[in-house]
Order: sequence, then C-alpha cells, then structure tokens
Amino acid sequence: MEKYFDATYIMQSISMLLPFLKVTFMVASFSVLFGTIIGFILAAAKLGKSKIARNIANGYITILRCTPSIVLLFLVYYGIPAIGNNFGMDLNDIDKAVFVIVTFSLQFGALMCEVIRSAYESIDKGQFESAVSVGLSNAQAYRRIIFPQALVVALPNFGNSLLALLQEGALAYTIGLIDIVGKANLIIASNYNAHALEIFLALSIIYWILSIAIEQFFLKLERVLSKGKQSLKTM
Amino acid sequence: MSEGLDYKFLVDTFFVALSGVPIALAITIVALLVALPFGFILALTRINRIPVLHQFAQIYVSFVRGTPIIVQIFIVYSSIPLLLDSIFTKYNLEMNVYDVNPIWYAFIVFSFNTTAILIEVFRSAISTVSKGQLEAAQSVGLTNVQAFRRIIIPQTLVVALPNICTATVNLIKATSLGYALSLQEITLRAKVAANVGYNYVEAYIDIFLVYLILCSLVEYAFKRYEKRLIKYKAVNA
Repeated sequence: MEKYFDATYIMQSISMLLPFLKVTFMVASFSVLFGTIIGFILAAAKLGKSKIARNIANGYITILRCTPSIVLLFLVYYGIPAIGNNFGMDLNDIDKAVFVIVTFSLQFGALMCEVIRSAYESIDKGQFESAVSVGLSNAQAYRRIIFPQALVVALPNFGNSLLALLQEGALAYTIGLIDIVGKANLIIASNYNAHALEIFLALSIIYWILSIAIEQFFLKLERVLSKGKQSLKTM
Repeated sequence: MSEGLDYKFLVDTFFVALSGVPIALAITIVALLVALPFGFILALTRINRIPVLHQFAQIYVSFVRGTPIIVQIFIVYSSIPLLLDSIFTKYNLEMNVYDVNPIWYAFIVFSFNTTAILIEVFRSAISTVSKGQLEAAQSVGLTNVQAFRRIIIPQTLVVALPNICTATVNLIKATSLGYALSLQEITLRAKVAANVGYNYVEAYIDIFLVYLILCSLVEYAFKRYEKRLIKYKAVNA
C-alpha cells in the first residue's frame, strides 16, 4: 500500500481542482434559475383548475422521477441536435454546458414543482382572504403575504434539492464538460492512471465540504427568515 | 440522423436493454438486503446516542449524502483493487485482481450508499413511534426482541415505507452508473449496441423506457404493500 498511496497528492490535487469549481457553480446556478421557473409553471399547472394541465404536470414529474440523470443527460445531448437537424439547424457545435444546463433544469424543475406546491398548500387560505379583505390587490397579497410565508416553508426542501442537483451535476463530465470531476479525470489520464485514488479522495473532500457549507447556510437562513413566524405564534 | 428514427433498431435494442434488467435488480436487491438491517441498527445507535457508533454513523451519513455517488464509485473502484492486491500478495494467493467480477464492486458501493440513506429514513421513522409503545410491550411481559419484532418494527415500517420506496427507485436509477465499473447492465448494454451504427438517440430512448417501466412497477408494488401494512398504523381517534 505505502508505495501506491501518497497523501500529499490529495492536497496537491485539491489546489488543482478548485479553479474548476466555478464551472460546476455556473452550471448549477443556471439550472437552479431555469429549474425554478419550470417548477413554478408546473406547480401552477398542478394547482390550477385545468384538468389537462394537471395531468401533463403529473406525467412530467412521474417520468422525470423515473429517469436516471445520466440517461436524461445523454438523451438531451444526442436528442436535441437530432431534433435540430430535422429543422435544418446545426446544433452540434454549441457549448456542452448548454446541454448540461438543459438536463438539470428539467430535472430540478420536477423537484421544485413539488417543493413549491407543498409550500403553497401549507399556507392557510385565510391568509390570502384576509389580505384581500384589507384592500390589497391579488398581486400584492401574493407578493407581501403568501410569498414570504411560503418561502420559509420551502427553504429546507429547496436546500435538499440544491444538494441533490449539485451531486447529480457531477455526471456532467460524461459528455465532456470540464468541471471538477472532468478535470480530475483529465489529471488522472495525464498521470497514466497513477494516484487515481488520491485525486478521487480530493474530489470527495471538496464535495463534502461544499455540501456541509450549503447545509449550514440554509439552516442559518431558515432561522433568520422564520423570525416573522415566531411573532405570529405569540399572538 | 435526418432520416428520423431507426425503428427496427429501436425495437431490437429495447430487448438488449431489457436483458440488463436482472443485473440492475440483483444489485438493488443485494444492496437493500445489506442496507435494511445495518441501516436499522445504526439508526438505533443514533437515537440511543451510543458513544462511538453514534458519531461514526453521523460522519458516515454526512459523507455519503455529501458526495456524488459517481465519486464514491470511483473511490471504491480505485481503492479496493489496491487493498485486494496487497492481501493477495501477502498470503501468496494465486489470484488476479482484474479477474474479480465488477458486480462485487457494485454490491459494495450501492450497499454502502443505501445503508446511509436508510439510516436517516429509519431514524425519522423510529422517532415517530412513541416510547410508551416499547414500555407497554415490556409491561405485558414481552422481551425486548419480541417487543421490537411485533410492536416497534411493524409500526416503523408503515411510516418508513414511502421513503424506502423513494430510496429503492433512486437506487435503481443509480445502478445506471454501473457503466463506470464496466458492469453489463441496462445502460452499458444498450450503449454498446448503439456503438455499431451511432444510433445513440434510439439507444437512449430504449434505456429511458426500460427505467421508466422498471421504476413504475416498483412504485406500484410499494403502493400495494403499503395498503396491506396500513392496518398497523396507529389510530389516535
């Protein structure tokens, strides 16, 4: 073991991997942005009156829940250029990050739909009615009364979904995106497969610290935002 | 590509992908069989705050939940052969590390992963069963083992089942990463079939369909089982 395993490589490769964390973050934040938009649309469809829209939203969520992200990733990677080809567009040259963002936005949308829906349903209907009865418009009632309360309820689930997204995002290397996992594989390849274990350990340490940090951040944020909730209890 | 989908290939590869289902299911079942008892026991150590095991379980869960499964696969795949090799040479065993079937690595990774997930599932489920249940069981003369088998576990299971279902579906989905271990499961088989004619779109549609069917069936089975278990649910009315 001694001659194969060298712990100094772990520290060394962490410093080599860290610059590529920004690619991971970039992909994750775009996916969160678009995924949340998709989630809002789906949640609106699920909560709305139209039966067709509700069925479409339910079907979408079931399908996305049953698809491994790697399969979805490759379906998007090979499928979108093929569809584009049929319409006479050449989509083979666009950045790989775009495919990754599309894939994880689709997936995050399905997660977020459930998060948003459960948060919305947890708010008592009387809140909206009383807001309207004191003269707020519908939009004002949503923005000032419903949204701040729903946000607090949604926060822990949002944090969990974000962590899940970050970890599924590690698969982006399979289509050749150079994020931290992709870089780790490149380093190993350039080392003729030597010291692979140390580099993977470095990778896992980065991810581990990252997710603990995000977890703590959301716990803190929840505590700050739930201040309004506590003052309600004293009434 | 511009001539559309190759339907003959689509149908043929569907059955190629389907032939990978037994391996995916074997990994799922082995991982669950290992993870269910270990998860339950470690969950108990976390609830009862047993000194060393409690901290161990905490770090273990945090690591598994904090790192992507693919990185865990990489670590196991690059560390276990090293360990095995040093063991083989130490005891002069005439065995080659590269002859080990990759399915063993898959068993290790996915059991390791699922145990951590189930610790959390059981921890939240056990804490919903009130302490009075165990005390009442003991007071009517059941031993600890009997009380757990007949009173606590059935009630825990009802609460835990939806989460176990989610964990199982996630596990089946995660077996698609077995390609990193060059395991002949659903994804790799269809991908290899596609390599011949670059029919990747068709191959991935097939893989997608197989997982969709598989996961829907598992979810349906869990729903049925949940209905049967519902009689254990405590009625507080």
